[in-house]
Amino acid sequence: MMMKRLTRTVAALALSIGLSGAASADQLADIKAAGKIVAATEMHFAPFDILVDGEYQGICRELFDEVAKELGVTAEYLDLPWSSVLPGLEAAKFDIVNAPVTITAERMARYSFALPMGNATVALAKKAGDSSIMAPADIAGKAVGSQKGSAQLDQLKAFSATLATPADIREYVNIDEALADLAAGRIQAVANSMPLMGYAAVQRPDTFELVMPPFGDPKYFAWVARPGDDSASLIAAINEALLKMHADGRLDAINAKWLGAAPELPVEMPAVQ
Amino acid sequence: MDFSFGVILHNLPYLIAAAKWTLLISLVGMAISIGLGVFICAARMSRARWLAAAAALYISFFRGVPLLVQLLIFFYMLPHIGLDLPAIAAAILSVGMCSAAYTAEILRGAFQTIPAGQTEAAKALGIAPASYWRRILVPQALRLGMPSLINELILLVKVSSLASVVGIGELTRVAQNITGQTYRPLEIYIAAAAIYFVINLIISQLGRLAERRMQLAGGARLGV
Repeated sequence: MMMKRLTRTVAALALSIGLSGAASADQLADIKAAGKIVAATEMHFAPFDILVDGEYQGICRELFDEVAKELGVTAEYLDLPWSSVLPGLEAAKFDIVNAPVTITAERMARYSFALPMGNATVALAKKAGDSSIMAPADIAGKAVGSQKGSAQLDQLKAFSATLATPADIREYVNIDEALADLAAGRIQAVANSMPLMGYAAVQRPDTFELVMPPFGDPKYFAWVARPGDDSASLIAAINEALLKMHADGRLDAINAKWLGAAPELPVEMPAVQ
Repeated sequence: MDFSFGVILHNLPYLIAAAKWTLLISLVGMAISIGLGVFICAARMSRARWLAAAAALYISFFRGVPLLVQLLIFFYMLPHIGLDLPAIAAAILSVGMCSAAYTAEILRGAFQTIPAGQTEAAKALGIAPASYWRRILVPQALRLGMPSLINELILLVKVSSLASVVGIGELTRVAQNITGQTYRPLEIYIAAAAIYFVINLIISQLGRLAERRMQLAGGARLGV
């Protein structure tokens, strides 16, 4: 009697585990059946994810809305502190992270990345209307600010060393101070990641201007899903949507709207060290 | 220093909407804290040794592990063993269950300060144990424990801010987000602080009212 009851409990347990396993075997099918995809990010990273008067806005919002449209589902967005975003993904609390996640080899090993949707390579901001800097190489011999201890500063130093006359590099604790000095005319350019520089130029078009193209080692942002076979069809569908948006110009248009210029984005997964 | 009241006024509706989550977590958390706390206190004081040991284990776990860690375990780790709680349930449960450990100890402390002579007197007078508990012990313990209980409930309102780690847009989280967009941390955090202060002022006033009423009722009942 006791044994029988135990067997029954175990069977019921196995069944429920089996069912939940089956339910997540193909994430894309589940999402289509539910009619919605739940995406999480930290809405605290302009210009990709910001809350304006309680409404979620930014590059990632606009791009993901379009992707959801391509998938034929509605997008639902969650705001989590960054430290909870990747643990939440692993615990299957939502379908995908639609934050700009920098593609690195460590993360590649642990998650499934979609195609890049943002470019995090270093770019320059100059004073609006300054015709003496039209390309990155024009900073030769000029005063350029960047953030102390940042990866972008290293990229700037390496780039400057390749010029005939190196740039006069000034280090700032905070990138806003560098921008303030640029606005005041104490330096001629500021180097940081392309989205930050582009956003500053869009926010204050009378003061700053973005210098294209970016320089140094290319770095990209992309969305991530859980690793494994379950998410393979979802990632494939998102990539298909992104490629379609590459082709019809939506990807460039949304990036340009927020950054002032459309960054170069690869149509296949970039190699990472 | 330019201080803008305009920024506060403009964002106040969002802060107040967020404060509703803070209130929900706090109020349901308090109900769990007191309900479960009474039960755990009774278990802890029980003569059945295994029951007392289980209660002691509960108390030392929930008191000994940071609430933030408990919350992360509830929300992110339980799904791995097939127990998937919605964010708001995880937040309320962990806040309530943690606070219950403290409530249980507050009540136990209060019971222990009631002189043993009362028990002997009640026995001598032939008062049934049930009515002795209900009419003599519990009213006194509640009255003795009330200041510490109010303290605990106020703490509970403040720790509800931890619910942001599981994605609840409660007051602290929304204040952070508004700051990220307006670059006005001083104004926004002062507004959030004022809302927390008002909530806790109401709780402490209610507590004072309850203390006074219990003193009157208890006093009359005990014939003091």
